[in-house]
Amino acid sequence: MNVLISGGAKNGKSLYAQQIASDLADCGPLYYIATMIPRDEEDRARIKRHISEREGWGFTTIEQGKGIAELIRREDVDLKGSFLLDSVTAVLENEMLPVALKDGRQEFLGEDAEAPERVRRELVAFAEAVREAGGSVVFVSDGIYGDSCGYNQSTENYREALARADRALAEVCDRVTEVACGITEEWK
Amino acid sequence: MILVFGGAYQGKTDYAMKEFGLSEVCDLSESGEPDFTKEIITGIDAFAFRLSAAGENPTDYFRARRELWDDKVLVITDVSQGVVPIDKDVRAAREANGRLMIYLAGEAKQVHRVFCGIGKRIK
Repeated sequence: MNVLISGGAKNGKSLYAQQIASDLADCGPLYYIATMIPRDEEDRARIKRHISEREGWGFTTIEQGKGIAELIRREDVDLKGSFLLDSVTAVLENEMLPVALKDGRQEFLGEDAEAPERVRRELVAFAEAVREAGGSVVFVSDGIYGDSCGYNQSTENYREALARADRALAEVCDRVTEVACGITEEWK
Repeated sequence: MILVFGGAYQGKTDYAMKEFGLSEVCDLSESGEPDFTKEIITGIDAFAFRLSAAGENPTDYFRARRELWDDKVLVITDVSQGVVPIDKDVRAAREANGRLMIYLAGEAKQVHRVFCGIGKRIK
């Protein structure tokens, strides 16, 4: 069974997603797809906190911040397992707004205009491959659609691309859940 | 009237067309005034922002034309969930949009909220 979880930031999505992924594993392999590519000390500290929060849950961590469809063909990955992908937001950012580290400083490489369609296609392909194999994926995304101010074009492109990825995943997922204040609302 | 609302890029207009089997859309996102001969009026938030910027009250505008949209589907983006805007005019427009949503939802026979392309009737 595939699940999409979204909602505002810091509302308990990740913890809820961990629980669902763990329940769906049912003693089979349980994978955490780590999507954050650390760019600075703040990121490294956050990753450390995330790792400690997952301790004792039995997750095997797979580092895959880009190219999610590569997971379909990896020999060390059992598609019959339960996957937690946290988050769709980070994968899209890594592919659409890539940065390079140069002398410890971040250098923006420019917006990849082909990333939105590619990421959407790869996420859906991964969801379908896991479903076919009898496994499950829990996707975590972010609801960033309630602002009143317009952003610059690049940020608006990103918001639209994330929304389109969410909508494509919502179509292929069996469940779509919104988390607000740690409370869940079922949409599908 | 049926009111459809939700965040930006959530597929609100697509949902309205599919859910209610309609195809005639007046889109106010970029410019223009509502064409009430169409079945669906979308981008009402952008129109409300333009009215507010011109010193007009969007709720008064719709109240004065009550009978024109009685059998329409109105689609509006909920822009209430972000940081309070620094810009005074955007702040006023955001408030005007919220007041308009409350008025329209009060008048509506049905209210649907859209999330990730999925709609849910909440009234």
